[in-house]
Amino acid sequence: MKKNFTCIICPNSCDIEVMFEGNAIGTVNGASCSKGIEYAKNEMVHPMRTITTSVFVQQGIVPLVSVKLDTPIPKEKIFEVMKFIRDIKVTAPVISGQIIIANILGLKSNVVATKTVEKV
Amino acid sequence: MYDVLIIGAGIIGSAVARELSRYNLKIGVLEKELDVCVETTGRNTGVLHTGFTYKPGSLKAQCCVEGNAEFDKIAEELKIPFKRLGKVVVGFTDEDKQSLLKYQDIGRRNGVPGLRLIDKKELKDMAPDAGGEFAMYSPTSGILSPFIYNVALAENAKQNGVTFYFDTEVVGQSRNDNYYILKTTKGNFSTRWVVNCAGLHSSKISTMLGIPGYKLGFFKGEYYVLDKNAGRTLNMLIYPAPGPTGGFATHATPTVDGNVLIGPDSVQIDCLDNYENTKSSMDKLFSDGRKMFKNMKREYCIRNFSGIRPKLIDPETKDVLDFVIERRDTVPHVVNLVGIESPGLTCALPIARRVIKCIKEVETLYDRKNFNPCREEIICFANQSREVQQQLIEMNPDYGEIICRCETVTKAEILQAIHNPLGVNTMTAIKNRVRAMMGRCQGGYCQMRIAELMQEELHKKETEIMYGRKKSHMFTGKVR
Amino acid sequence: MNTMDKDVIIIGGGPAGLAAAVELKKRGIHNIVILEREKYLGGILRQCIHDGFGLKRFKETLTGPEYAQRFIDDIQKFNILYITEATVIEITPDKIVTAVSRNGLLQYRAKAIVLTMGCRERTRGAIGIPGSRPAGIYTAGVAQSFINLHNMMIGKEAVILGSGDIGMIMARRLTLEGVKVKAVFEVMPYPSGLPRNIEQCLNDYNIPLYVSHTVTNIKGRGRLESVTVAQVDEQMNAIAGTEKEYKCDTMILSVGLIPENELSLTCGVNLDKHTKGALVDEHYQTNVPGIFAAGNVLQVHDLVDFVSMEAEHMADSVASYLYQEGFPPSHISIIPDDSVGYVLPQYISGEIDVVCSFRVKKPAKKCAIYVLQDGKVIITKKLKMLFRQR
Repeated sequence: MKKNFTCIICPNSCDIEVMFEGNAIGTVNGASCSKGIEYAKNEMVHPMRTITTSVFVQQGIVPLVSVKLDTPIPKEKIFEVMKFIRDIKVTAPVISGQIIIANILGLKSNVVATKTVEKV
Repeated sequence: MYDVLIIGAGIIGSAVARELSRYNLKIGVLEKELDVCVETTGRNTGVLHTGFTYKPGSLKAQCCVEGNAEFDKIAEELKIPFKRLGKVVVGFTDEDKQSLLKYQDIGRRNGVPGLRLIDKKELKDMAPDAGGEFAMYSPTSGILSPFIYNVALAENAKQNGVTFYFDTEVVGQSRNDNYYILKTTKGNFSTRWVVNCAGLHSSKISTMLGIPGYKLGFFKGEYYVLDKNAGRTLNMLIYPAPGPTGGFATHATPTVDGNVLIGPDSVQIDCLDNYENTKSSMDKLFSDGRKMFKNMKREYCIRNFSGIRPKLIDPETKDVLDFVIERRDTVPHVVNLVGIESPGLTCALPIARRVIKCIKEVETLYDRKNFNPCREEIICFANQSREVQQQLIEMNPDYGEIICRCETVTKAEILQAIHNPLGVNTMTAIKNRVRAMMGRCQGGYCQMRIAELMQEELHKKETEIMYGRKKSHMFTGKVR
Repeated sequence: MNTMDKDVIIIGGGPAGLAAAVELKKRGIHNIVILEREKYLGGILRQCIHDGFGLKRFKETLTGPEYAQRFIDDIQKFNILYITEATVIEITPDKIVTAVSRNGLLQYRAKAIVLTMGCRERTRGAIGIPGSRPAGIYTAGVAQSFINLHNMMIGKEAVILGSGDIGMIMARRLTLEGVKVKAVFEVMPYPSGLPRNIEQCLNDYNIPLYVSHTVTNIKGRGRLESVTVAQVDEQMNAIAGTEKEYKCDTMILSVGLIPENELSLTCGVNLDKHTKGALVDEHYQTNVPGIFAAGNVLQVHDLVDFVSMEAEHMADSVASYLYQEGFPPSHISIIPDDSVGYVLPQYISGEIDVVCSFRVKKPAKKCAIYVLQDGKVIITKKLKMLFRQR
């Protein structure tokens, strides 16, 4: 049996083909790098994604701070995580790299600011 | 109790309001939309016509010649962008020549000054871009900003005491002893006089006021708006010679801001709510436009729009009839205007004076002592010299902040537009007043800044920001 | 008005301008200034809060704001002069630059000018979609700005026209914020954005992508109410009978980007009719000596990494130009054939090695690129895959 994936690791977007037999993953073809092979294998068992969004900032010079997850979470948890982030408010100043929410929903991923927002 | 209520704040309603504000009267204007110039007035070619195509003796001919002649003074008083560029109507064939001679003759009979036929050489000297073997030259044709003209008339009326009610649609009326009660979506208004300036809806309002029987035909005209870069060499109006039916085929017209309009076509429609651009018209305009204007290219297209001409039609002959400006003894204290279409922009003030004449037949009007015919404009930063630009910024640093990059519109201008005298606050209102969002990027750069400024300045929620029409919400709420 | 003298004026503080400034400084050119019309440096990256930037340039994946910050940090470290909220309104052929700022008009005389104004989005008017003109139709970048920078939500049910990367990124962004994204329509027979974005922005969220489809009508008086979509034939004409109406209050357009060259035109720079960017030689120099261009103002790139790298190469050329006071003429033109849309640079001198960039007209697999001179193949490059993006 085989399954095909479009790699999302980099813009090359490799077409990767994974051969498998039941639960056993066999050869992986088409990936240009080792990250791609790992990605395809992961997609077979448990797809993981990171997301980026925004958090409301009080007393900031702009209303929103952009944030990202610093490690991927299970794909099916995306909307739960979004729901949690949506209600969070932070107060300026916020520094890029600052952890806004640690270990969100116990998924071992932190919500991290990706820009600096100064106080008004 | 009003002395006069005017239904409609288009160019005609606003002109009537402005002219009536010369007299000691309590005047109100009821407008169903959120701003002036939303319908026919804001959807045309913006041309000051001369009057060589209208039947001699008709109101269209009389008003057009009168309106054209006085427009330099009006533009000066009201600070309206206006250029008397002149027009050439070009021809190729003998038939064309006969047609041009016919219109030259009509023009002369109507009193249009300066019309003459010119040969190919003179045509090329005058308008290098024009095709054609010969042409009729009309020196007094011009272009103006229909938006600013309408805004200016309304602002000047307001300055002289007229009250404007927007989002106020007239839905019925009743007559008491000697006054009318107009029922509107915003409550009842009492008035001694009613003036019907409802444009597209004028036959409906006429019937409501007790004058039934007018049959309007609605003719939609579609346009392309081209980038300023397409219009750099278009220095006058170039029209093809009218065919046997009298209408002009697709033509290119420069706007006062330097863009080019391609159109309009003319297609009869039955639904009034229909400003849709259609694939068939767009394709036809594009190919016709390409034949007569060398810069009609896809890359120069920045927008499409359409307008509707409400023409009064003779039910028997199907001929297009003259403007109706009437007062009937059987329907007291109503001045009824029906079938006002092109050249309505040119004719607005002459029509307004005829409305006043109707009222004066019944009662004496007394001059308002401090009527001021002049209106202040919003200074256009982009059109000033570097020295003046520097002075403006020194005086007000908001002139040093460019909000709309395509049209070089500054924050100072946007703020003046947001706080406009009529208290209108849609995105389109800003656009029509100071050109922001009108350029090639169509608001890609400045729309968000303007929406934000509107919220700040007017203390509005984002859900209250309207694009142009009623219920044209820009936003559904906040993200967070 | 005082005229200030500068070695290099950089028009625009987005990714190209920032990279150029830092590189110029590294090459020992100190008397430079970046003129940026917005309040902050960073350009379009400020609103691109998604990740996927930087793999080529920094060997790691960054979000847009993080990517921009890398360069802004360098700008600050090297003490490079920049002026924000200064909109350039004119550049003359003799390199006088005039900008509008709250402190008055600013005027500079430059030895060299770097054009890094980026690009703008193609609008509804530019592609001519029939129908009415209600509120609720936004270009992808405008929608992105409203949502990611201005905290304003634009709708509840959306369709997306055009499968450019920004369009797909916005499909995901809107979905995450609770908007129902019904479909993405692409008029071409293949998607125009990266396959990875089809995967992670559309497939992950079950958003269908229909190629060879376009919007044929728009309905709505105040706010958008619906769009009609039809399949198109090979000539891009709608096929009668395939129309389908989609109820929605929002339409996002991702139908292409156009280099922003209005200022370039004011100083006599000639443009390429295919790229809509300047015609340049191997030094990124335009036909106006001392005026250079790089980044999206020159050609619309797929990745910001390429923008930065192109701007850095250009900055090296600008430094050489200032040290050498000019370049030998570039008289050899590179002409693409029918399968290739354009090639940059358009002119070369033949004196030095040159890296060319080009865009093919159609995607292809297992293909080769041939470079011919006087009818003889001088270079052959075999490629596994070629993408064709906007």
